[in-house]
Amino acid sequence: MRIQQVGIAGTLESSDITIHIEPNEGKGIDIELKSTVENQFGRQIRSVIQETLLELGITDAYVRANDKGALDCTIRARMVTAVNRAALGSYSPWEVK
Amino acid sequence: MWYTSFREQVVNLQSGIERKQLQAFLERQSLSLDGDVEYAVALWDGEKLAATGSLSGSVLKCIAVDEEFKYLGLSAKIVTHLVQEAYLKGRTHLFIYTKPENKTIFTELGFYVIAEIPSKVVLMENTSKGIKNYINEMKSESAISADAAAVIVNCNPFTLGHRYLLEYAAARCRLLHVFVVWEEQSSFPAEIRYKLVQQGVQHLDNVMLHKGKDYIISKATFPSYFIKEYQELVKTHARLDLEIFTQHIAPALGIKKRFVGEEPYCKVTAAYNAAMQEVLPKHGIEVQVVPRMSLEGSPISASRVRELIRAGDIHKTKELVPETTYQFLISPEAEEIIKHIQSMNKRH
Amino acid sequence: MSRLRRTMLYVPGNHPGMIRDAHIYGADSIMFDLEDSVSLREKDAARMLVYHALRTLDYGNTELVVRVNGLNTPYGRVDFEAMVAARPNAIRLPKAETPDDIREADELITQLEELHGIEYGKIKLMAAVESALGVLNAYQIATASKRLIGIAIGAEDFVTDLKTTRSDDGIELLAARSQILFAARAAGIDALDTVFSDVNDEAGFMQEVKLIKQLGFDGKSIINPRQIEIVHRIFTPTEEEVRKSVRIIEAIKEAEEKGSGVVSLDGKMIDKPIVERARRVLQLNDAVKNSYFSTR
Repeated sequence: MRIQQVGIAGTLESSDITIHIEPNEGKGIDIELKSTVENQFGRQIRSVIQETLLELGITDAYVRANDKGALDCTIRARMVTAVNRAALGSYSPWEVK
Repeated sequence: MWYTSFREQVVNLQSGIERKQLQAFLERQSLSLDGDVEYAVALWDGEKLAATGSLSGSVLKCIAVDEEFKYLGLSAKIVTHLVQEAYLKGRTHLFIYTKPENKTIFTELGFYVIAEIPSKVVLMENTSKGIKNYINEMKSESAISADAAAVIVNCNPFTLGHRYLLEYAAARCRLLHVFVVWEEQSSFPAEIRYKLVQQGVQHLDNVMLHKGKDYIISKATFPSYFIKEYQELVKTHARLDLEIFTQHIAPALGIKKRFVGEEPYCKVTAAYNAAMQEVLPKHGIEVQVVPRMSLEGSPISASRVRELIRAGDIHKTKELVPETTYQFLISPEAEEIIKHIQSMNKRH
Repeated sequence: MSRLRRTMLYVPGNHPGMIRDAHIYGADSIMFDLEDSVSLREKDAARMLVYHALRTLDYGNTELVVRVNGLNTPYGRVDFEAMVAARPNAIRLPKAETPDDIREADELITQLEELHGIEYGKIKLMAAVESALGVLNAYQIATASKRLIGIAIGAEDFVTDLKTTRSDDGIELLAARSQILFAARAAGIDALDTVFSDVNDEAGFMQEVKLIKQLGFDGKSIINPRQIEIVHRIFTPTEEEVRKSVRIIEAIKEAEEKGSGVVSLDGKMIDKPIVERARRVLQLNDAVKNSYFSTR
C-alpha cells in the first residue's frame, strides 16, 4: 500500500493514541511521537508503529502519534485504521491469506 | 472514565433554539459564539449541556467545559471530534487561539505553541513543525539580504496606492518582502489578490512576494469569543500578529524595517499601526509610515475602488488601479466578484 | 451447567480505555458494541479496535459478546468477518425481526467458522428484538438457530416503534418482556433484559431489576459498572432458598447412592424442573460468594 493522502485515527482520550499519517514520498519512515509515557515506553511504541508499517508494506510515511497510554493492541488497531484511511485501502488482518 | 452517559451531538447552527442554547452556555463561561463558526459539537449529560467546541475554517474555537464536568476528559472528546471533522473536510493543519491558562490542556491534546501574549492569548497549531517548515520554505525560495524590509498588504484589490507604497519601500531597501494576507473574507479571493499584486510589481526586481498563509494573522480570522472588550480585542490581535512577526518571520529573513501605508479612515487598522510603532522598534525593527497617494484630493484606497464597483462605475476605477488590475476587473473572471460586491452594502 | 448471565456490561467499541478495563468490575458478560454507540465514520476504527482487543487481551472467564451491525447495513458483513475471526463467545445480532434474519447470520457464521478452521457451532448467537414485529416473532426467532443462547429486548427502539416512551414502572414493556420470556423458556435459551440508561437513578434501577427478576429474566444489559453490584445483589438467592436447594441436591445424591429412580424430600416427589431450579439457586449463590464485590 502507498500513502496517498492524510489519514487520522484514534482519539485523544486516556488509553488511546491518535495516529496521523501523511505521504513522505521517497523519504522513508518518519515518526514523531508524543506520549504521556514516553520515558518508559517511547521505544516500544515506536517499534509497534514500525512493525505495523512493515506488515502493511508501507515504506514511505510521515507518522505523527499522540499517545495517552495505549496498549500495543490499540496502537496496532489505530495504525491499521489510519493507514487504510490514508492509503484508501481496506487491509483486513482477519482475512485468511 | 465510564462516561457513556454523555451524548455527543452536532449543533444545528441554523436552528434558533440550538444556537441560543449554545450562546447561553458560552456566556456562562464568559465566552461568546464567534459569528464565523461553521460547525459546533456538544456533549450532553441528560438534558444538561456539559461541553462544547466549534470549528471555523482551520481554527478550533469556542471550546468550553462546564465547571461541574471538569477533569472528565471532555475537552479531549470535543477536540477529537473537531479534529476528525476538520480532517474529513480536508483541513489537516489546525490552529487554536486560547487563553494562556489553557495551554497545558491543548499541549496534551497534541497542539504546539506558535506565539503567546502573556495573560491574553496563545496561538497553537497541531504540529511541532508547522511554523518551522513555513520559515524554511520561505528561506529556501527567497534571496536573503541583511538589509531587508517588509510590507504586509491585503490588496482587496491591488490599486495604484499599493503600487506606490511598494515602489516607495523597494527603493529604500535592498530586498523587499511583501506578504499578502491570506484570508477569504475579503471581496477578492486570496489567490486573485496575490495574482494582481504579482502582476503589479513585475517591474520591481528586488521584491519577493509571499503568501501570508497561517502565520500572518488577519483581523478577520482572529477570534473574538474570549475577549469581551473591542479595544482590547484589536490590541491583542495586533500584539499576537507582531509577536509572530518579530519572533519567527523577521529574524529568519533578516528584516530590519517595516513599511506601512498611512491609515486615515479605518480605526482598526490605525490602532494596528499604532501598536506596530510601539512594538517593532523594541525588537530593532524600524517602522516607516508612508503617506497615501492621492487623486483629486482624496487618497486612493481599495475601498474607494470597491465603492465604484458597487455603484456600477467600473470604468472609473481605471484612474485608481494599475492596468493589470483594470484588465482583470473587466474580464469574465471578475464577474462573480463584482456581482457579489454589488449585492453588499457595507464598507468592508 | 449453563453460564450465568445476570449482567452484560455494554462497552462502546471505539473506547480503548473501557475495552481494556471492561472485565475488572465482575460482570458476567461483556458486550463490545460496534452498533449504536459508534458513529458511522468510526465504524472501521471500532471494528479494528475490538478485533485487536479480542485477539490480544485476556478477559479471564468473562463471557465475551460483540454486538455487530445488522446484515442489512453496509457494515454488517465485514463486522461478522472480523468478529468470527476474533473468536468471541457470541455475536449479538441487533434489530432481529424474523427467523430469516437469524438464519442468515447463522449461515454466515458457519461459512466463516469453516474458513478459519473453527469448530462448527463454537460461536454462539444472541438476538435482540427491538420492534413490534420482532416481539411477535419472538418464538420463531428464538428457535431459528442452534447457536442461539439468548434473546434480548432492546427497549429504546421498541418504545419508539410502539409510539410511546419509557415510564418508571415499565408498563409499556410488560407485554413485550413477557413475550420474550415465553419465547426464551419455550426455546430453552436465556431471556435478557434491556438497559436502564439513567445511571444516577439508583432507586429506579433497583425497582426495574426486581421487576425483571420476578418476571423470570436471566439478567440485564447494563451501561455502567456501578450497576453490576445492584443486579448481582438482587439476583442473590435468600438463605432460605439456598438451604432448601442444598437439601434437594443432597436428596438427589442420596437417591443416586441408593440406586433409586425416584427422588423425594419431606414426603414429596422432586421432579426435574425443581432440580434445575435448585442447581440454579446454588450457582447464583456461589457466584456471589466468589465475586469481587463480596470481598469488600
